[in-house]
Amino acid sequence: MIELFDVHKHFKEPVLRGVSLSVPAKGIYALIGPGAAGKSILFKIIAGLVTPERGSVRVNGEEVVGRREREMMDLRRGIGMLFQNYALFDLSVAENIAFPLRRLFDFSEDEIEARVAERLERVALPGFQDRNPASCSGGQKKRIGVARATIARAPIVLYDEPTAGLDPVTSQKIYNLIREEQRAQESTVMVISSDVNGVLSIADRVGMLHKGRLIFDGTVDEARVCPTPEVNQFVHGLTEGPL
Amino acid sequence: MNAALNIPYRMGAALLLIADQTGGIAIMAGQVVRRLVPPRIDRYELFRNAYRMGVQSVPIIAATAGFTGALMVIQGAPIVERYNARNIIGWSAMFTTFRELGPLLIALMFNGRVGANNTAELGTMVVTEQIDGLRALAIDPITYLVVPRYLSIAIMMTALVIIGDFVAILGAMGMAWGILDVWPRQFYYSAMPMLQTWDFSVGVIKGFFYGNMIALTSCYFGLSTRGGAPGVGRSVNASVVAAASGVFIVDYLSTFILH
Repeated sequence: MIELFDVHKHFKEPVLRGVSLSVPAKGIYALIGPGAAGKSILFKIIAGLVTPERGSVRVNGEEVVGRREREMMDLRRGIGMLFQNYALFDLSVAENIAFPLRRLFDFSEDEIEARVAERLERVALPGFQDRNPASCSGGQKKRIGVARATIARAPIVLYDEPTAGLDPVTSQKIYNLIREEQRAQESTVMVISSDVNGVLSIADRVGMLHKGRLIFDGTVDEARVCPTPEVNQFVHGLTEGPL
Repeated sequence: MNAALNIPYRMGAALLLIADQTGGIAIMAGQVVRRLVPPRIDRYELFRNAYRMGVQSVPIIAATAGFTGALMVIQGAPIVERYNARNIIGWSAMFTTFRELGPLLIALMFNGRVGANNTAELGTMVVTEQIDGLRALAIDPITYLVVPRYLSIAIMMTALVIIGDFVAILGAMGMAWGILDVWPRQFYYSAMPMLQTWDFSVGVIKGFFYGNMIALTSCYFGLSTRGGAPGVGRSVNASVVAAASGVFIVDYLSTFILH
């Protein structure tokens, strides 16, 4: 479970203004909102990569804010992450996916190989072990990222814009993959996305950030009939409105 | 802003920037030292970086050193001919190459090839969120990325100065034979009695300090990259200029100390 209370973050301007939300365990929480709403920063705050000026962030009951970097390292072992820009290293696909296992755990090479092969099968990229991510398409890189984010079977998985720049068919395949992975591993998943239709098709709950504030938090059905003008416009993709 | 105030304002801003960057490099040096006591080194990364930064730099460094040795002979040739002082050509060429020009030119070339590349790599890793990716995987970027690069650059720069010194001797010998008709054996015996081990050691020590400067500067500017792909370009530019300036400052100070 992920809980945020009154989280504030400034850079040159305020990015998050008192965000409070709760991501229930073993479900998918979609965080939507227009560009520059503060979604990615919130994602990094949850993982302890960025420190807020004010507020509290609890992951599985443990406070994140104020932890020293070394203490954060222990907490991050339980969090899988997919980054918007893939964050794949200049290594082979297999080495990228196996990276968390080799660095954080004590698995034998045979087990690592088997797990990598299983992950690649799962994300529909069998035989990609020796390829370099640079030679893969955007969709393939996202799938490699999903495989890496889930290989350690972390109880919490965060996905930042998992379908940015992808065509609708590939996007929906990625969302379906996220849903299947969540069900298979019974993990708590948070997906940040600007692709409303796609992400709402798999989400259990949804929140909307706008100008650093959480202006909606509820179920997908509630989001579709929300009277708040910004939420209504964003969820239905209307051109007329306050956004 | 008033034009009269503009100049002191800009000077103040520039000084603040230099202080900020110098402080940042010093903090990075402290972070590296903390991870070296006791040593926490990724050996695979260390050897990988040593190979691509050091071993693959040998051809360009050898060319630089060879030409430096040859140039010293060309510069000295008119004087040598005028005073028929062929018995000092070896010493004069090697003394200046070993103590000063060899390490300095090798450092500048190494900075251009390895320092710039190191900054670009780390900067690209920052803007593509790979550094965040490492931290998210509970891996300390200083231990995993900076320490092996720092050690590789400092050690390989020192090794390249030693290699470069020997290639410079060959370049100077060849040129002396070509334009002054000084045979290699004669060149060797004109240099060796007057050259001291310390002359060679000074250059090697300087090389180690230059390596430290290039390593810390290039890593600092790489990891402080902001602003996407254009930011990487700015970081590389700033890193090359700062490291080259640092090399000259270190050269100035070390020449005083090691004289």
